[in-house]
Amino acid sequence: MLTTIKSELKPFEDLAHNFAVRELAANRKANDSYPFGPFFDPVVARAYEAGLLGITVPEECSGAGQGIGALCVILDRISAVDASLSGIIFTNALAQEIMLAAGGKDTLKGIMEKATDTRSTLIAYPAFSNPGETQTGLDAVRAGGTFRLSGTIEYVVLGGMAGHALVPARIKGQDGRQDGYTFFLVDQGGKGITKTEPIFSLGLHACPAVDLTLAGVEGIPVGKEGDGARCFDHASDRMHAAVAAIQCGIMKGAFQEALSYSQERFQGGREIINWSALRMLLGDMAVQAGIADIVVSGAAMAVDQQDPQWGLSARAAALHLSELACKLTTDGIQILGGNGYMKDYGQEKRFRDAKQVQALLGLFPLRKLGLVSAMAKGQ
Amino acid sequence: MISPEGSKSLPDRGSRFDESLFSLQAMPKIPRGMLKETQKAVALARKFNDEVVRPQALEIDRQTHADPEYLPWDLVKKANEWGFYTMFIPKLFGGQGFNMPASAYVVEELSSACVGIANVVFVHYLGVAGILASWNVSLANKIFREVVRGQKSGKPSIISLAITEPGAGTDVEENELIDRARLNCHAEKVKGGYIVNGSKIFISMGHVSEWCCLIAYRDLKKASENTVTFAVRTGTKGFTFGKHEDKMGQRACPASELIFEDCFIPDEYVLRDSSIREGFGTRPIADLIEQYIHFVVSVTRPAVGAFGTGVARGAYETALKFAGETEVGGKLLINHEWAQAMLAEMYKNVVIGRLSYTEANYANGLPGGIYNILQRKPVYYYQKYAPKFIFDYLISPLLDLEITQRIFRRLFVDSQSLEVQQRCSGWASLAKIVGTDMGVKNSQMAVELMGQAGLRHERGAEKFLRDSKLLQIYEGTNQLNRINLFNNLIGSSIPQARAFEE
Ligand SMILES: Cc1cc2nc3c(=O)[nH]c(=O)nc-3n(C[C@H](O)[C@H](O)[C@H](O)COP(=O)(O)OP(=O)(O)OC[C@H]3O[C@@H](n4cnc5c(N)ncnc54)[C@H](O)[C@@H]3O)c2cc1C
Repeated sequence: MLTTIKSELKPFEDLAHNFAVRELAANRKANDSYPFGPFFDPVVARAYEAGLLGITVPEECSGAGQGIGALCVILDRISAVDASLSGIIFTNALAQEIMLAAGGKDTLKGIMEKATDTRSTLIAYPAFSNPGETQTGLDAVRAGGTFRLSGTIEYVVLGGMAGHALVPARIKGQDGRQDGYTFFLVDQGGKGITKTEPIFSLGLHACPAVDLTLAGVEGIPVGKEGDGARCFDHASDRMHAAVAAIQCGIMKGAFQEALSYSQERFQGGREIINWSALRMLLGDMAVQAGIADIVVSGAAMAVDQQDPQWGLSARAAALHLSELACKLTTDGIQILGGNGYMKDYGQEKRFRDAKQVQALLGLFPLRKLGLVSAMAKGQ
Repeated sequence: MISPEGSKSLPDRGSRFDESLFSLQAMPKIPRGMLKETQKAVALARKFNDEVVRPQALEIDRQTHADPEYLPWDLVKKANEWGFYTMFIPKLFGGQGFNMPASAYVVEELSSACVGIANVVFVHYLGVAGILASWNVSLANKIFREVVRGQKSGKPSIISLAITEPGAGTDVEENELIDRARLNCHAEKVKGGYIVNGSKIFISMGHVSEWCCLIAYRDLKKASENTVTFAVRTGTKGFTFGKHEDKMGQRACPASELIFEDCFIPDEYVLRDSSIREGFGTRPIADLIEQYIHFVVSVTRPAVGAFGTGVARGAYETALKFAGETEVGGKLLINHEWAQAMLAEMYKNVVIGRLSYTEANYANGLPGGIYNILQRKPVYYYQKYAPKFIFDYLISPLLDLEITQRIFRRLFVDSQSLEVQQRCSGWASLAKIVGTDMGVKNSQMAVELMGQAGLRHERGAEKFLRDSKLLQIYEGTNQLNRINLFNNLIGSSIPQARAFEE
C-alpha cells in the first residue's frame, strides 16, 4: 500500500521481502527455539550487511537516511515471515531514534563508524517499557567528567549481545528534578556489568533480552540531564508507526497461511474454505489485514510528513493494530484446527509474537490513556 | 422455505427459558452429601496444587522446551499416588466413587495452577467416559479395576481416547459429517477379533497411557453405521507410537500419533461394535453411534469449559497479585480505576465460565442424563456407604452377565430421550465455548495488564495464554461446538433447519 503511494520505497519492500523469503522462512521453527537452540547470528549479520539495521539513521552517520516509511515497509515484510528479526531491527532503531532525539548524533556516528561486526553496531534497549511509567532501577552518580551507573534494569532487549546499551537512569543528587531521568550509553563490554541468562518470553524468541545489573559502570549521558522523557516520547511517537507495521506484517502472514490452508484442508467433503462459518472468519481476517495496511500507510506518512498531530496518529495506529493482530492471530490458529497449535506451522508463533509486540513501548492500557491525555492537552 | 407466519413463531418453538433452569430442577433432589464430598475433592486438588503442581509447573514447561520429547511419567506417578485416577471411577468398578460433577470443580482448581498438568490428570477421564458410554460394563469393570490396582501397586494404568485422524478432526466429532470424511483407521472383522490398520493423531497422553479407547471403522466410506470402539493395551503387537507433537502450550501433556499396522484386537476387547445391535433397543444404528458420541461429549465438554474457567481464574489471580504489588506512575496498579475495571471483568469471566459448566452438569444430572442414576439418593448413599466387599465380591461378578449389560443399556441408552440427549449435548457445547473463550480472554488481559512482566516465563501469565488457546480447539473446535449448540438447542425444534447442508 505504502509503496504504491510512495514508489521510492519499493526497493526497500523488495529487499525485505527477498531477505525474508531467503533467510528466514526455512528456519523459522529452528530460530524460534532460542534460547534452547542456537541464536541466528549469521542471519542477523546478513541483515546488517543488507543495511536493515540503520534505515532511519542519517547518511552522515553511515545509515540509510530514510524516514519511518522505509522502516515500516521493511518491518511489515519481515514480520510476515518471522517477527523476531523485526524485534531486533525495531529495538536497535528505537535506541537510535532516542539518541537522535537527544541530539546524540555524534555518539551514534561513532558507534556506526567504529563497528567492526554486527554485534558491535547494535544498541540494546529496554524496548518493552516506558521509563516514565515504571521507575528505572538505575542510579547515576557523577564521577569527574562522567557518570557511574548502578542498579538493575530489566528486560533489556539485545542486552549482553549488542556492543552498547542505551539505558535510562536517575541522576542522584539532582535537586528538584525527581521525576526526570536521563539516557546513558553504556559499553556492554565494560567492567561491572552482569547479565542474566536470556529471558524466556512469550514471543519473539529470537529477539533476545536479559536483565542487566550494573555496578559503577561508566555511562555517557545522551542528551540533556533530566530530558529523557522528552526524548523517549518523541522517539516513541515515531516508533509507534513501526509497531503498527510489525503487527500488520504478522497479520498478513497469518491471513495468508490461513487462506492457503483453508483451500487445501478437507472436512465434511469439501475444502474448509467452503464452509460459510469458516469463510466468515476468514472474511474478518481479510478485513482486518486490509485495514492494517491502510492504517500503517497513513501512520507512516503522517510521521514522515510531520502532519499535525502525527504522533497521535502513529500511537493510535499501533494501539489499534495491536488489538486487531491479537484477535486475528487467535483466529489464524483456529482456522488450522489442531495443526495451528503446533510449531510445524507458523500460526502459533504469530499468536505469541503479536501479543509480545503489543507490549512494546510500555504498558498497553497506559498507552491508550496517554493518548487521551495528549489529546486533552491539545498536543 | 419458512413462511412469514411460521418464521414469526420460531422463537417460541424451542423450550421456554424457565424449562432449562436445570439447577432449580435438580437442586431439591440432590443428595446433601454431594456438597461435602465436592469440597473434599476440591480441597485435595488444592493441596495437590500446592505440593505438586505449583512448585514445578513452570520448570516442567521450561524443561519441555529444552527437551521436546519430555514425557510426564513422574507427574503421572504422583497423580496416581494421590488417587486422582480412581477418584471419579464409580465404586461399582472398584473406584473411589466421588460424585462425577465434582470432577469439574477439581478440573477448575487444577487448571488454575497449570492446565497442562490438569490434562495429565484428567485426559484419563476422557478415556473413562469413552469406555463407560459404550455400556460394556464387563470390559469397563475389567479395565477400571486395573486402574485401581495400578494405584495400589504404584504402576499407573491410565486411559487415553483416540478418535482424531490426520484427515478427519471435525468430521469424526459429528456423525452427520463422518461419511464425508477422509478416514483411514480401518477395523476388519476376522475370526476371533479385528485387524486394525491406520493412524490417529493428537492423542493426549497417548505415549504414557496403558489403555487406549480407540474408535475405528469397519467401513471407511459408511462410518456412520460402522463404528467399532476398542480398548487397546499399549504394547499390543501392531500398535506403536509415531510423532510426539511440538505444541505451543500445555506441554506437560503430550499429544501423540498412534499407528496401527495389522494390529489384531481380540473380540474380548471390543467395547462396542455398532453393527451388533443386541440390547440396544430399536433406534437406527447411526442414531446409536450419535448418542454414544453425545454421551461422551456431554461429560467431556463441560470439563473442557472447566479447564478454561480454571485458566481464566489462574490468569486473573496472577494479574491480581501483580496489581497488588506493582507501582505504576507512583501508585499501586490496583488503585488505578482502569485496572480495577479490568480485574472486575476478569473476575466476572471466571464466574460466568463456572456457572456455565455447572449448569451443563446439572443438565447431565436430570432424568435421562448420564449422571442421573448415580445421583438418585438411594443409589448415591448406597454407593457411598455400602462396604467395599459388596461391590468387589458380590456385584462385580454380576457385571459380566449378559442380563446386567442389558439392564445398563436399558437404563442409559433406551431410557434417554432425544430431547434429553440434545439438551445435554447442547449445553455441553455452550459450557465449552464459554469457559474456553473466558480462559483465552483472561489470559490476554493478564498479559496486557502486566506489560513486560507478563511476557516473562517465570511470571506465569504468558504460559496461561499459550496453554489456553488449545482449549478452543480440542473436544471439537469452538466453531463446531457453535453448530452443535445450534443443532441441539435451536434447530432441533425447527423442522426446516439443517446443519452441515449449506
Ligand atoms: C493438543 C491436542 C490434543 C488433542 N487431544 C485429543 C485426544 O486426546 N483425542 C482425540 O481423539 N483428539 C484429540 N485432539 C484432536 C481435536 O479434537 C481436533 O484437533 C479437533 O477436533 C479439530 O480437528 P482438526 O484439528 O482436524 O481440525 P479441522 O477439523 O481440520 O478443522 C480446521 C478448521 O476448519 C473448521 N471446520 C471444519 N469443519 C467445518 C465445518 N463443517 N463447518 C465450519 N467449519 C469447519 C474448524 O472449525 C477449524 O477451524 C487433540 C488436538 C490437539 C491439538
